[in-house]
Amino acid sequence: MDAIKGAIALVGYGLAAIGPGIGIGIVVGNAITAMARQPEAAGMVRTTMFLGIAFTEALALIGFVLFFIA
Amino acid sequence: MGPLILASAECDPAADIICKPDNVIELFRYNDALFSIGPFHFTRTVFLMFLAMAIVLALLYFGLRRKALVPGKLGVLVESTVGYVRDEVAVGIIGPEGTRYAPYLLSIFLLILVGNLFEVTPFISFPITSRMAIPGFLSLVTWVIFVVVGFAKNGFGYIGGIVWPKSVPILLRPLVGLIEFVSTFLLRPITLAVRLFANMVAGHLMLTLLLVSGWVFMSSVGDIGIRSVIGVPWFVFGLGIFVFEIVVAVLQAYIFTLLAAVYVQSSVHPEH
Repeated sequence: MDAIKGAIALVGYGLAAIGPGIGIGIVVGNAITAMARQPEAAGMVRTTMFLGIAFTEALALIGFVLFFIA
Repeated sequence: MGPLILASAECDPAADIICKPDNVIELFRYNDALFSIGPFHFTRTVFLMFLAMAIVLALLYFGLRRKALVPGKLGVLVESTVGYVRDEVAVGIIGPEGTRYAPYLLSIFLLILVGNLFEVTPFISFPITSRMAIPGFLSLVTWVIFVVVGFAKNGFGYIGGIVWPKSVPILLRPLVGLIEFVSTFLLRPITLAVRLFANMVAGHLMLTLLLVSGWVFMSSVGDIGIRSVIGVPWFVFGLGIFVFEIVVAVLQAYIFTLLAAVYVQSSVHPEH
């Protein structure tokens, strides 16, 4: 039973990583587009990009923590 | 290297290779006290915490001791860090009154940076921010600061603006207000702490697993012969992750500071 629980937690973490993976891809891709179009705004875009990554990544990290707690 | 509390505290790698802590509480509480003063246990984490404080104080003291026109190498490093946190993070995000919060932001930035870099420091190899108490306390202090600033700047309009947002259609206001309330007062401090904690635990675990498994395979060459070569790619991959973890340590310190500034900004100017 313990082994099954661990395996389900592992699958759960994998599922939790899908959304943030796609989300970070979208955030960084659009940030690169913005920087390429307007290089003088690169500093501002980079700060906002890190913020967006941090917010998106939190979901994956919560999944990671739950994997240990489960 | 003297690494890797998670693996070495619980098992003898010579006896069995697969081992893990009995209890996940181990990640949150490490009770192997060096010495105790009354009810206060002085553990390795506490010692490293004081070491980090001493390093930060020494950096600031020796970096800013002489106010020269052309500062030395350490002076340039410290001055550019201080200037970046004050001008780009504090003033850049909060606005002109951000200089009031610059000392706090600089303190948490430097403490978290040094604490994170302990992860990749030889003979220490342990990030103090991977114990929940430290990021938890730092995010609790940040929470207190932005709530107090919000009430001081806006009175009770601060909480009114959160639970009854005027810019939303009236039918949606209870729903949006509930979401905003939970996200501002509960999710913000929790995610702020968990983000730093989980990043550091993940990096520490990854380094532990890769380097220890590489070392165990390579050192048991007498027992398993040519098959021990499987340890080499693990060890090389571990060294690659080692470099990656330096980037993560700096980035997480930066993100924690940036988010603290953003939260304070949302209390100073709640409409934006």
